[in-house]
Amino acid sequence: MNAFLALVRSETATFVRDKMAVFFTFLFPLIFILIFGFLMGDVDSPSATLGLYGAVTIDEASLRSVIDESGVNRTRSFGSEGELEDAVAGRSVDFGLVWNGRALEFLYHPNRIQENHAFEQLALGIADAFNLRRQGLSPILPIRTVHVGSEASTRWLNQMVPGIIAFSILSSGLFAISGHLTGMKQRKTLDRLIVTPMQPVAFLAAIAVVRLAVVYVSTLLTILISIAVFDLTFSIDWLRLTVLVLCSTLGMMGLGTVIALVVRRPSSAGNVANILAMIMMFLSGIYFPIEFMPPFLRALSRGLPLTYMADAMRFATGVSDMSVVRFWAIALSLLGLAVVLFPILAGYVVRPQRT
Amino acid sequence: MIDVLLVARTHLVTALRERVTLFWFLIFPVFLLVLLSLIFGQIGQEGEITFTVTLVDFDRGSEGPFAGVIAGVFENLAEPDTAGGDPLFNLIRPDAADDLNAFLDAELVALRRGRRAAVVAIPAGYGRTIERRLFASSEDAEGEVELALYASEGNASSDMAIEVIDQVLAGVDREILTGAGLFDSSESVPHVTARIGSPEGEPRYVDFLLPGIVLMGFFTNGLFGIPGAILFSREQRVLQRYWVTPLSVPRYLAGLSIGHLTLCAFQFALLYLIGRLALGASVTFGGYGPALLLVLAAVTFMAFGFLIASLAKTGNAGMAVANILNMPMMFLSGLFFSVTGLPGVLRVLFYVNPVSYLADGLRASVGVEAGVFPMSLVIGVPLAWIALSSAVTAWRLRWDVGR
Repeated sequence: MNAFLALVRSETATFVRDKMAVFFTFLFPLIFILIFGFLMGDVDSPSATLGLYGAVTIDEASLRSVIDESGVNRTRSFGSEGELEDAVAGRSVDFGLVWNGRALEFLYHPNRIQENHAFEQLALGIADAFNLRRQGLSPILPIRTVHVGSEASTRWLNQMVPGIIAFSILSSGLFAISGHLTGMKQRKTLDRLIVTPMQPVAFLAAIAVVRLAVVYVSTLLTILISIAVFDLTFSIDWLRLTVLVLCSTLGMMGLGTVIALVVRRPSSAGNVANILAMIMMFLSGIYFPIEFMPPFLRALSRGLPLTYMADAMRFATGVSDMSVVRFWAIALSLLGLAVVLFPILAGYVVRPQRT
Repeated sequence: MIDVLLVARTHLVTALRERVTLFWFLIFPVFLLVLLSLIFGQIGQEGEITFTVTLVDFDRGSEGPFAGVIAGVFENLAEPDTAGGDPLFNLIRPDAADDLNAFLDAELVALRRGRRAAVVAIPAGYGRTIERRLFASSEDAEGEVELALYASEGNASSDMAIEVIDQVLAGVDREILTGAGLFDSSESVPHVTARIGSPEGEPRYVDFLLPGIVLMGFFTNGLFGIPGAILFSREQRVLQRYWVTPLSVPRYLAGLSIGHLTLCAFQFALLYLIGRLALGASVTFGGYGPALLLVLAAVTFMAFGFLIASLAKTGNAGMAVANILNMPMMFLSGLFFSVTGLPGVLRVLFYVNPVSYLADGLRASVGVEAGVFPMSLVIGVPLAWIALSSAVTAWRLRWDVGR
């Protein structure tokens, strides 16, 4: 037991000294969430400011009341079309509207590519409602929109945070083997360890224990900071979250074994793991919704473990729904990956270094 | 001069031989260019996306002029516009024998689980409600029912499907009012769209993205390539071996810089060709303006690399610093999307970030956008960073093995 504790202590010290591991486990998720949270936090309900220039007073009251009901957050009036154009160009208003009595001219900044679509939807609503209002009419079809998910699933950032946590687990698990362990092999530290009475299983268990603890702390920290800074709501099922963190970390360590075995040079294994992790991050629906990808990328996405880890993490944090059977199938598949690959990993630890 | 060129060749060949370097400097920018173009190039163009939408019509079989109107519209939208094309909606409907309430419950579960983009439920008596609203007084609202549009907020596909359905229903609304003789479409005022300072309208996303990805390639190249080359060579005592030859530090630096700039030129050529030939970008980088800005960008990021090399003690520490700087500098500069509405600290980071000015200036110089910053800042801020980085490098960078 003392030997195991010594291994845990040594693995902890090694992890803390490894700046890249600390970065990807703790800092990366936080930096990512802080940047994207502030950059795209209001993507679900953009806070649009409309600049208005009314060249005529005809129907101006109707227009203003339609704008007030349209979802535009703020309206600023301008004295001339030129002033309004300058405001749109200088981004002091999000989009502009010129009413000259004959047409509604909406002005947009050409560079706000990802936001203009939302502004155009608002403009369309304003134009439709105004044309009805001018003839004393209102929409005839009674419609109510009903949100079917939980409160935790209403914001884009809520969907992203569990994805980032899943990525952090993936990179931590992969690097534990294909960065850290292969590095030890290359530096011949492992060769020295295996001539001691240390059991490979105890050594791997020490790595796994340290990684699990670190990943769990990182997960909690990421969730806490997202709640504190962005006022996000999660409905966490702690049992599922804990099981998922455990199974995912071990499963990704198993996957790291495959990389360590396939990549010939131990030093390259970490780089390959890094590349694979980055590609998976872009294709697993963390940054961009999978639904918007072309069919071949969607199919590729469905073959990546991170896609399922992110989905299961969203379920465990109450952000999206999935069947309980599916959740356990994902968790147990990841655990199965570890169960199958850990004996191979133990063999890798005691095998002399390839040249 | 030969020794300088030899160092340049060594840097270039090492970068191209090293598969990892090759990936990050050449393949990754191409991957990102293709991926972002494929994904964001089609947002807002609904014809490119097919939404899976469920329609449950509880009003089926009822009588009256408006019974079945809404269902008919959705059925039409589930047909492709052109032969062989994709329809707007992949419409899921219950079979005749299905219990509609049970079917709706199952479909709402499918919506929550992301397998449907939206569920539309037309309640029994909806046709009657429309009829009553058209022809009865506004007080006569008793017995009115509402069409339920079920959505999964936060799910981008569902959000977009709801936008489309809202537009479709607004169109139906207008047609019903026109058909009833209540709405005179000739009295409608047209809705005109204009882009400020851009007669051609909004640039295509790939044209907006390509200059950004080129700069991202230069940026990662400078941020990781230069400290990697110096710090790892110092650790592995390669530099120590150089210094026992007649090669001086300035000549080594000159060689490293030439090699680095040549690699940037490779990056640019590859990205430009793929952008133009494979992704249909129309942006060109011809003329002195874009060329000078590209050189300024490559030199600025190279200077940044020297700055990191002078601040980090080891190669691994240098890579960690580069990683920490990489994401905030890339994302807080408008390389991939325009940046607006940042809070205090992040706004400061945006304004001190040279990438912000270079991205804005390069896009303006190739005619993709009007440009927010004056040219004095587009050139001045990167030059200031070059001066600062050079000063710190001259002061702190050690060329021997230990510090």
